[in-house]
Amino acid sequence: MALHSTGKVVSSSNAVLVVQCDGAIDPERVSRSLDRLLRFCPWPAARLRRPFPWGKLHWAANGGGARRRPPVRRRAVATAEELHQAIDAELNTAIDPRREPPLRVLVLDGAPDLVGGAGVLVLTWFHPLMDPRGAQNLLHHLVHLDRHASEAPWGDAVPVFVRGADPRPFKERGRLARKSLEYMRTLPRVQPVSSRKGGAGRVRFRQVSFTERASAAKPWRNTQEIWWRVAVVGKAMRRLWEQQSVPDVPFLLPIAVDLRPKGDLGPTFGNTLAFHFARFKPSDAADVPRLASALRAQLADAVRGGHIEANDAAMDFLQYRPLAMVRRALRWTGGETFSFNCADVTDFPAALDRCFGRRVVNAFHVPAVPPRPGIGVFFNRCAARSNLVVAWIEGVVTDNDVTRIVETVREEMGWIETS
Amino acid sequence: MSTGNSSAGIEQDAVASALTAFVNANIMARGRSVQPDDDFELMGVDSMAMLKVLLFVEAEFGFWMPDEDLVEENLTSPRALAHYICRRRGLS
Repeated sequence: MALHSTGKVVSSSNAVLVVQCDGAIDPERVSRSLDRLLRFCPWPAARLRRPFPWGKLHWAANGGGARRRPPVRRRAVATAEELHQAIDAELNTAIDPRREPPLRVLVLDGAPDLVGGAGVLVLTWFHPLMDPRGAQNLLHHLVHLDRHASEAPWGDAVPVFVRGADPRPFKERGRLARKSLEYMRTLPRVQPVSSRKGGAGRVRFRQVSFTERASAAKPWRNTQEIWWRVAVVGKAMRRLWEQQSVPDVPFLLPIAVDLRPKGDLGPTFGNTLAFHFARFKPSDAADVPRLASALRAQLADAVRGGHIEANDAAMDFLQYRPLAMVRRALRWTGGETFSFNCADVTDFPAALDRCFGRRVVNAFHVPAVPPRPGIGVFFNRCAARSNLVVAWIEGVVTDNDVTRIVETVREEMGWIETS
Repeated sequence: MSTGNSSAGIEQDAVASALTAFVNANIMARGRSVQPDDDFELMGVDSMAMLKVLLFVEAEFGFWMPDEDLVEENLTSPRALAHYICRRRGLS
């Protein structure tokens, strides 16, 4: 969770959660829930502050004054293209968290027959505010407040909105962070999948929904695991790599590990992710099962070696630092960060089958993609659909490249595209 | 014969209990305990959490679960995994 710019916002660091419903959503209900949430939780109205020029950025709520609700806007869309453009605009209209709330809501009214567009809620946030699971938690809290009008909607059990401070001594956390950096120094020099040089640009995305083939019937849990999906995406990226006719040097990519305890929402805001750094050669991706097995073994070794725990401590030091600073810390990578991004946000919560009185028909995320490597492939599932989102910085890959990525993943996963 | 089945059942229950205790202590949120027959996926046990379970199996029962055995049937619940572990131990 680094910041893309230290001074002015030069590139959007927005992430979005898109929730498609079976009917129009009343923005008043969303506004009311946000107003009520602010009584319990200041984060949606916070600003990003740096106490000293050399200090670490942190979130600060309005000191004692009234907390200003993040904006909730409404507009109509008539076609699927307009719907896509509206989401695209949300992604690219950068939030400046120093001067405005770190999140905003857009409610889209579509024609009743517009696929996925009868009523759409678009939650947009400055990505270091929370991760995709945190955005789902936030929506969960808002929907809870919509359903419970009492003054004490949670009774005595108000949710924990942020992760508690690490109780371990600073010296111990420092030791773990150093261990993580030392581990990262053993990783290979990084090549992004695109040869494009340069930084900021317009963010683009493509979202496609799939269903499982009836005959597949989940015979292998393995195919649902992150190592399998990274291997499949690796195969798609290998094809991009081959176009450049470059040597078979290793890919490096971060795999997010959600540290929230399972079975409960867990924290909403701040960082609750640690990272494992997966690496493999493009040629390894020719055999997906074999690569998936190797990635699983890498992850197991990282857990055995305590590297996930160490990275968690390192993230506490690295988060809210400028990307340039993070790159300096990762100087052995040759100035690059990762080859590409890939994540699985897993299942949209069953408890969110209805939002603000409407049935949810699909939901997907478009996480932020840093200017380098400038491309990410993301999975999630909702209402028996598997969603695939490719997000990229304009110019990093072509539309044809994206089509090939989607097609490779579809083919390898054995999915059927929905209408 | 019935004694053998009975002792196998007791062993399977013990393994399921050990797996359940591990998951509740290391993976689940406080107050969100799983039971031996609960579905891992429905309880939110994701890839990384499942990996921790497999590492526990390795440490406690002495083998690393091979890829070909990572099927729904073996990983649905603590009891399903216990059944697999006992079956494998019986074969080895």
